[in-house]
Order: sequence, then C-alpha cells, then structure tokens
Amino acid sequence: MKYLLFLLLFLLILGVVGVASNPSPGFAALSLVMVAGGGCSLLAGQGGYFLALILFLIYLGGMLVVFAYSVAFTGSDYVEGWGTRRISLAAAGYLLLVWGGGVILSTNLNEEFWTVGASFGEFMSLEYSLVGVAHLYMGGGWLLVAGAWALLLVLLAVLELVRGASRGAVRVV
Amino acid sequence: MSPYMLIILIFTLGLGTLITLSSSHWLIAWMGLELNTFAILPLMAQQHSPRAMEATIKYFIIQTTAATMLLFASVSNAWLSGQWEIQQMSHPTPLALITIALALKLGLAPMHAWFPEVLQGLNFSTGLILSTWQKLAPFSLLLQIPPTSSFLLITLGFISVLMGGWGGLNQTQLRKILGYSSIAHLGWMILIMQYAPPLTLLALTVYIVLTSSMFLTFLYNQATNINSLAISWTKTPMLTALTPLVLLSLGGLPPLTGFLPKWAILQELTKQGLTPVAALTALSALLSLYFYLRLSYATALTTPPNNLPATLPWRIIFKQPTTFLAVLITMSLSLLPLSPSVMAFFTF
Repeated sequence: MKYLLFLLLFLLILGVVGVASNPSPGFAALSLVMVAGGGCSLLAGQGGYFLALILFLIYLGGMLVVFAYSVAFTGSDYVEGWGTRRISLAAAGYLLLVWGGGVILSTNLNEEFWTVGASFGEFMSLEYSLVGVAHLYMGGGWLLVAGAWALLLVLLAVLELVRGASRGAVRVV
Repeated sequence: MSPYMLIILIFTLGLGTLITLSSSHWLIAWMGLELNTFAILPLMAQQHSPRAMEATIKYFIIQTTAATMLLFASVSNAWLSGQWEIQQMSHPTPLALITIALALKLGLAPMHAWFPEVLQGLNFSTGLILSTWQKLAPFSLLLQIPPTSSFLLITLGFISVLMGGWGGLNQTQLRKILGYSSIAHLGWMILIMQYAPPLTLLALTVYIVLTSSMFLTFLYNQATNINSLAISWTKTPMLTALTPLVLLSLGGLPPLTGFLPKWAILQELTKQGLTPVAALTALSALLSLYFYLRLSYATALTTPPNNLPATLPWRIIFKQPTTFLAVLITMSLSLLPLSPSVMAFFTF
C-alpha cells in the first residue's frame, strides 16, 4: 500500500512538473493526464471517489479532449519536450523546488486531518461533493435551472463568437 | 445578430444582475457575475471588426481575472470562517481581496487601464450597457460586504477621480472620454461608500442617467470623435443646445442634477472629518470639468468651417426614436430642486 501511494504521489509531482516545464501544449496535456491519474487515484483511495470520477469524465474526457483537438490545429514542426537540454533543466529545477518546499513544510508536524465526507441528515457517511450534487438536484429548485441556463448560455455565446465565414473577425471582409 | 440570440443574451444580462443582487451566498453572487460576463461577450463582438474582437477579448480576460480573485477570496473566507454569507465576511485578507477584485471588475483606478480601450472598440449601445448595467452587480456586492480598510477605499476613490480626470484630458475619441468620465464618477461613489452607502446609490443613479444621456446623444449624432461632434450641430439644433448642459451636469455644476451627488458627498466627507480628502477630490474633479467644457465648446459654442450642403441634415427625418433620450436629458438637467425627495428615495 505504501508503495502504491508512493507511486501515485510520484506520478502526481512528475506530472505537475511536466505541465509547468513543457512549452508544447500537447506534451503539457499529456502531463495533465498523468497528474489527473495520480491525483484522482489518491483521492479515490481516501474516499473521494465521486470527485475523482467526475474529474476523469468531465475534465479529462470532456475539457481536455476539446483542448487537445484545438491544440492539434496549432501543430508545429519542431516540438520541444523533455529531450532538449533547456527544458529538462527547467524540469529538474522545478523538481528541486518541490523537494525544497517539501523539506520546509515537513518540519511542521501538526498533523491535520482532512475529510471528504461525513454523516448528516439522511446521508450516511457519504462524500461531501456527492451529497452537494444530490442536494442541488433535490432541493435546488430554480438554482438548478439557473445553473443549467448558465451552461446553455456559455454554449450559445461561444457559438455566436466563433460563427465563421464572412462574419468572423479573423477574416474581415 | 439573430433576434433569438439577442433576446437570450439580453435576458441573461438581466438574469445575471438579478441573481447577484438577490444573493446572500458568495457562489451565487459569483455565478451572477459570470452570467453577465458571458452574456455581453457576443454583444460586444457583434460588429465583427478586429477592433471589436480585441475589445471583447480584453474585457473577457479582465473580468475572468476579477471573478477568479473573487472566488479565491470567498473560498478563503469559507475556509477561515466556515460560512459563505456575503454580509458575514469577517477576515480582513479576503475582504481586501474582494474589494480589489470588485474594483478591477468596475474599472476603478489603479485597475482602470482596460476600460477606455474596451469602450473604444464597441458601438455606442453596447458601450452604454457596459458603462451602466454592468456596474450594478459589483456595486451591490461592494455595498453589502462589511467595512474593510478605510485607507483602501479612500485610496481607490481618490485615485480614480484623479486618473479619470487626468487621463481624459488628452483624448479626442468620445468613447474614451466617456470611459474616463466613468472612472472618475466611480471614484466619487467608492469614496463615500463606507460613510454613507445611500449616497453611493445616489451617485450611481445620477451617473447612470447622465452617462446614458451622453451615450444616446452621441449615438444619435453618430459622432465618435470631437471633430464629428463639432459638425453635428446641423443634425438636431435642439440636441445641440442641450448637450453642453448635460456635459456641465456631468462636470458637477449647479444648478444641474450632477451637482447633487458631489454636494452630498463633499458634505458627508467634511462631516466625517475628511476635509483634505474632500478638497483634493473636488480639485481633481476640475480636470474632468475641463474636458467636459472642451466637448461643450466643440458642440455648441463654436461653428467649425463647413460647406453649405452640410448645414442641411436637420431637414432629414431620423428614424431613431428620441423619447427615452428626452426623458433622460430632462432628468439630468432639472432634478436638483427635488434634492430632498431624491435623497430620501435612496435612504434606507
């Protein structure tokens, strides 16, 4: 178990360093997948399975996919990654930063516990975010409608903004 | 733009402000602010020119930065105090951050640089919405939060009046001038917020009336810079006669309506013992008055050289209805004798 936790934390930190040090958005997105994989598995192991599931579905499977497709349009010929010396040195620098931060922060040994769920009302020992979503659908009422309207509005606003052909601003006729 | 789209966007503008105005939870307030931001983006970009797109992108970046700061401060407050009530925000650091985030949303100095540039890229009607309606939601939040550092609010207010006046001096584009005038007026509102919130509402309402008159006047004349304004006297002699008065009302001269908020604010500041602040702010308002006077000069006090056919546009009937403009100009010129009832209207 200890080794599994260590592996997941390692993937998390390595992924974060990868996102920070890669100038190419494709590689950064790949590192983001690594971050999400490690972080979500850690979260799920501590009881926050709902948040981890939602993150995988919506964040990775929705937003990151759209981001990757948009980024694919900007493909360049000479993509730099961890292979070049400059970027690998930057990544090593960030890793050093994380290690230093860990050394500084680990001297405070007031152990704080964090919880992802509790028992209250009719929900027995369930995760906070799960209960929150349930409450939104249960007693949310017009707030749920307003939230759905907000999502619809953003879709329509984006569609209106990127309506192409002669009405786009990038191609001014 | 398709009428269906227009209806949806305008409805959402109203809904967003309404949600923020009636909220007691920070997340709901944030949701209303985000609705407003997204609803106005297609309206801003409807001209489809690169300048309009640039203004839209700048507005988006600034507003989301401010909304993110707001979210961060409210989450920090929730962590520190355990609750999300807007009026129960107790910790000073999130309070200061919220004030700065809302100041960025409004366009108060020193976070004002985006406002004239964004306004310059828009047509007059969208600029009007940006200058008037979009100020209501952040102000409702600023009025509700508990008292924060008085130094912060006085600094924001005074610097806004100063930068609004000073920055507008070198402008020839009318939308930028209206942008700087907006910054200056917002400064007056913030200055008095911690001492007499009803006066903030009074200043906001009078400002909305005045600036709507100016935007609609420029829209009617289709004048985007001082040169176009100078030759617009031929279009409507009536409006030409009234525009300098509205401009002087914006400058805060008695016996026009614009004098009322400045009078009340200066009186309240001196009552609170802040006479030097009051004096310096009144002197900084002189800078704004200078460019309002320059506009009145160009509009009605001089006749620039022109040829004979150009003096005849008044013969053509304009399709744009002027009823609302007439009401606004009447209100911006003649509400000062009604000051007691106007001020009683805002005292709650």
